[in-house]
This record gives sequence, C-alpha cells and structure tokens, in this order.
Amino acid sequence: MSATPDYTRQEMMAIAAGREIRDGELAIFGVGLSLLAGYFAKAHHAPNVRAITEGGVYGATPMGGMPWGIECNRLAVNATSFTSGLDALGFLVASGRCDFGLIGAAQVDRHGNVNTTGIWGERPQRFGPPRTRLTGSGGANEIACGAKRTVIMVSHEKKRFVEQVDYISSPGYLEGGDARERYGFAGGGPSAIVTTLGILRPHPETREFWLDGWFEFSSAEEIRTATGWALKVFPHAGRIPPPDGEELAALRQVDETGMLRRKG
Amino acid sequence: MSTTPPALPADNRLIDLASAVQRYTFDGMQYAAGAALPVGADAIAFGRELLRQGRRNLHALFHCNSQQSNLLAGAGALDKLECGFSGLEGFGFANGLRRAVESGQLLLEDYSNLAMPLRFLGGALNWPFVPTTTCIGSDIQHFSAYAPDEVPARGKIPPVRDPFSGREIGALSPLRPDLAAIHVTLADPRGNGILIGSEWSRFELSRAARRVVLIADHIVDTDCMRQYPNLVRIPDVIVEAVVWWPFSAWPAASPGVHDADETHMKRMNEALGSAEGTAAYLAEYVHGYADLDAYLALIGEDNRRALADTATAFLLDPYRRWFLPRERIEALAAANLAGTSARNAATEVPA
Repeated sequence: MSATPDYTRQEMMAIAAGREIRDGELAIFGVGLSLLAGYFAKAHHAPNVRAITEGGVYGATPMGGMPWGIECNRLAVNATSFTSGLDALGFLVASGRCDFGLIGAAQVDRHGNVNTTGIWGERPQRFGPPRTRLTGSGGANEIACGAKRTVIMVSHEKKRFVEQVDYISSPGYLEGGDARERYGFAGGGPSAIVTTLGILRPHPETREFWLDGWFEFSSAEEIRTATGWALKVFPHAGRIPPPDGEELAALRQVDETGMLRRKG
Repeated sequence: MSTTPPALPADNRLIDLASAVQRYTFDGMQYAAGAALPVGADAIAFGRELLRQGRRNLHALFHCNSQQSNLLAGAGALDKLECGFSGLEGFGFANGLRRAVESGQLLLEDYSNLAMPLRFLGGALNWPFVPTTTCIGSDIQHFSAYAPDEVPARGKIPPVRDPFSGREIGALSPLRPDLAAIHVTLADPRGNGILIGSEWSRFELSRAARRVVLIADHIVDTDCMRQYPNLVRIPDVIVEAVVWWPFSAWPAASPGVHDADETHMKRMNEALGSAEGTAAYLAEYVHGYADLDAYLALIGEDNRRALADTATAFLLDPYRRWFLPRERIEALAAANLAGTSARNAATEVPA
C-alpha cells in the first residue's frame, strides 16, 4: 500500500478495463464509464479500435462533454453513419463479428452472470414485482451472448458480488463449467470482471471467477471481504501496475468533464 | 378499435395532434412509440396528448423506455409494457416506470434491445415467430411478468430446434401494434418521412404496425423527398396521418433540431418519482396548455432558442429550402379537419 495515489479508483477501473482492448478490434461500448474506458484505449494504445454503440451511431467522437446517452447529440454531431439497432446489435454483435464488449452490472455472480433488471432480495420463486426495478438488459444481453470477449465493469461491493444473482439479465457462464455451450452462443463469454479494487478472471475449467490481481491501493484480503462468495486466488495473482503518466493523461483528455475524478 | 377512421387524401395527410390521438387511439390498445434511444428522439408530446384525452389500460410496446413511457407509466395509463431497456441512460432510473412496476400496477415484460426490433421485423414479415440466438439461457427467457407462477416460463421465448443443425434456439413472438406513433425529423404532407439520427427500430416498426402516424419536427415539400429518395425510410404508402408538432421530443433531443433539455429531463424524472410530484407535473405539463403556442410557451422562448442552438444543426442544412411555413401547414391540417368532420358524420359506426 503506497501513499494516497494521485488518481481515483474509478480512473483505475477505467484504465484497467481499457487495457483489455486491443488495437484494431471491433468494440462496442455503452454510456458513462464504459465509453470513457473505450475512448481511453483509443487515445492511448488502440488508435485503430473500431468503436460502435448499439444505437448504430458510427464514427463519432464525443464532443462538448460526456454524452447523456448513446444517441446524444454530443455523439450525433460528428457521426459518419446512422443506422439502427438491428444493424449494430444484430448484424455486428449477435452475429459474432464484434471482438470486444464492455458491460456494467448491478449484481454479478461467481460465474460472471450479470443482473441489471431488478432486486428481489433473492432469486424469485414466483416472478412478482421486484423490490427495486433497475434498467433491464438493453443491449448487454446481445453483447454477453455475441461478443468474442466481454468485460464486466462493476464497483466492488459485497452487495453486488453475490453467490447467485437475483436475475440473469446477461449470461456469463450460467452454472459454470460447459453450461454456456448448451446454447451455442457466438461469443465466448466474460473474460474479466474489472472492479474498483482489482480484476477477476474465469478459471479455465470451472469458469468460476478467481482473483487475478489487485490495484496498488487494494489487497487480496480487501477484495475477498468485498466479495459475496468464497473467492479463490490464482497462484499468479499479484499487484496490477498503477496507471503511468501517459495512461492518466490519455484518460483525462477523454474524461474532459472529470466524471471519474469526482469519486474517491 | 371503436371506429375505422376514413382515410385522409393521399396528397395531404396532415392533421393536428389532438385529432390524431382522437382518431387513431383507444383504451386498451397496443401502442408503440417509434423512437430512438431514451435521450434521443421520441414524440413524447403524443404521450402527453394520450393523457390529455384520458387514454388508459394501454399495452405499450417501446423498444426502449423514454420519458414518454416513464410519464405514461407514472400517470397510471399503462397496464403492460414490453421493452428492451427501462432506464434513462445518463439520466438514471426511470422513476415513474419504477413506481408503477414496483407497486405491481404495471406488468413489465423484459426483452433486450435486439429482441424488440426482431419482434417488429417478425410482425412486419408476418412470420409466425422469429428465431433468436440471444436472450436464450438468461432470465429474459425464464421469467415472464404475464405468467409469474410459471417458472421457467414456457410461452415467452419457447425453445425451438434449428431444423438444419439440430441446435436449440429461442422463438420470439412477432409484434403487430395497433398504432405506431413515430417521430421523424422531416415529413412531407403525404407521409414520406426522413429520420435524422439512429433509426433505432423505426424502419421495422413502421412495417409491423397496423397504423402509422408520423410526428414531424418540420414539414417539407415533396420535392425534398424526390431529391433524397434513398433517405425516405418510411414511405407514404404505409402512413395514415402526419402531425406537425415542434419540440415533440422535448425534453429529449432531436438530432439536427434541438438538444436534450437536461434541466427538464431531471426535473421531470424527479417529479415522476412520487404520486404528488406526478400530479403536479401532469397539471402543469400535460393539462396545462391549450394549444401548440401554449406548449411552446411552457418550454420557454429563451430555453427553446438555447436548445435549438445545437452543434448538430448543420445536419438539417440540405433540407431547409423545402421547409413549409407554419401557415401553410396549418391550412393543410385545417382542410383535413373540415373534410373529416363531414366524412365522420357520414361513416362513423357505433362501438
């Protein structure tokens, strides 16, 4: 544990997620954190990433502040193509063409299944109204099914990292092992869960998410405490390099409104 | 549907918003909004007019929630809603929808953002079902708000076998809404429409719906459509009526025309978070205007000028020479109002 770093946990999470993106990939991003992580990668190490949003707004770079949505005028202002959801999510994502997708989660479980639909308190026996209604799947289900690799970004809190999600909005590895293969999805499933504390990756056989590394301000113990299942640790797990000056400069150039610097 | 409204003349399908809602909507109908994403274009003003005319028990089909479904849900006008996304993107959770769902008043049937356009496509092609390789294996398939005791749900996205590979996939039910009220940036009086921005699913929806009404920011001369026929994704042959209502997407954005009103997006959603707030919002922003001028005054002249000063305005430059002036649009709509009153008297049949 070093002295207080000169970057926030949100910034570290965005940079760690951005590091997962490779140059030249066809990648799909959502709004907020996901967009920042994606455009950070483009500004830093993946200048040829082909970024799309599920709204079918192509070729756009955000202008005039953080877009409020993926069809916000802050993206429409310099787009080179407007198409449709069927095109972006169907032709390019569900089809299996998209290399990489970034999605968020209200809850995630040990097999990387994501809930963004609602909180019932447990998985409901009878499908009545939720205690708290969330946003539903949106296009995340298509990304989780169709993208070759999916990265889940989520704030690392015990209430979010649960043994079993209340509702599977977007499939990870379902019950684990080869359960996902029953459905023949075009995409390979989640390759990482990038959090505000570290990175979890799936065990190659059981597909259970194990701790792969922690950030310089965090530790394996802190992450285990903030995880709702008995988190196993890969033998190779260790400290993840903090952002270097170039990474921070690239992220802050993209995050011009300072969205990620507001939260500690 | 209580009556079949007589068709408007092919060369002029312009009518006013209140008449469109009166003619083409009814309690309990399957109502679809033709919109972009929650922050993008949607004819939210059409939803306000549905409430002004007291429409209720609606079965709404929205690709994504917007402030329109948030408002209709918060006001208690929806019994059912099927959608792929129920939030407001950067503006957070949709409070009116949330209240209605959590109280059990509104049954929300969850799909995904690809499942909805596929279902519209199925309706448009008159297919019995649409095969899907997404949504299967997740709880979108296993849980149905319409059959809460049946877990896993058997009738929502039933498994079907691919006859070629033998693989198990899912069957999506096609959608044929009674009406699609579709936001377009430009329409001519005949009903040809040009969308600026993502189509989202308005192309498929326009073919799936039993009736289509366009709500346009600008009415243009048909010569505009002859100049850009490739851009006319909604042709007049499938359109019943055209409504001109500036800022119909307010407080959301219409690319090329105006930005999102961030202050009102937040204020509206906050109001819809409680019954009292919703009542106050309805009094002011749904029942609080008598006509278009009063609606525009509610948004505010300075505010409208600021919203219209959008960096996307250049997108409309190629089309401005064909904009019809307000007097001409209102004269065309008035001609139809006079005509249909006479025809209605002759053809209307009791429910």
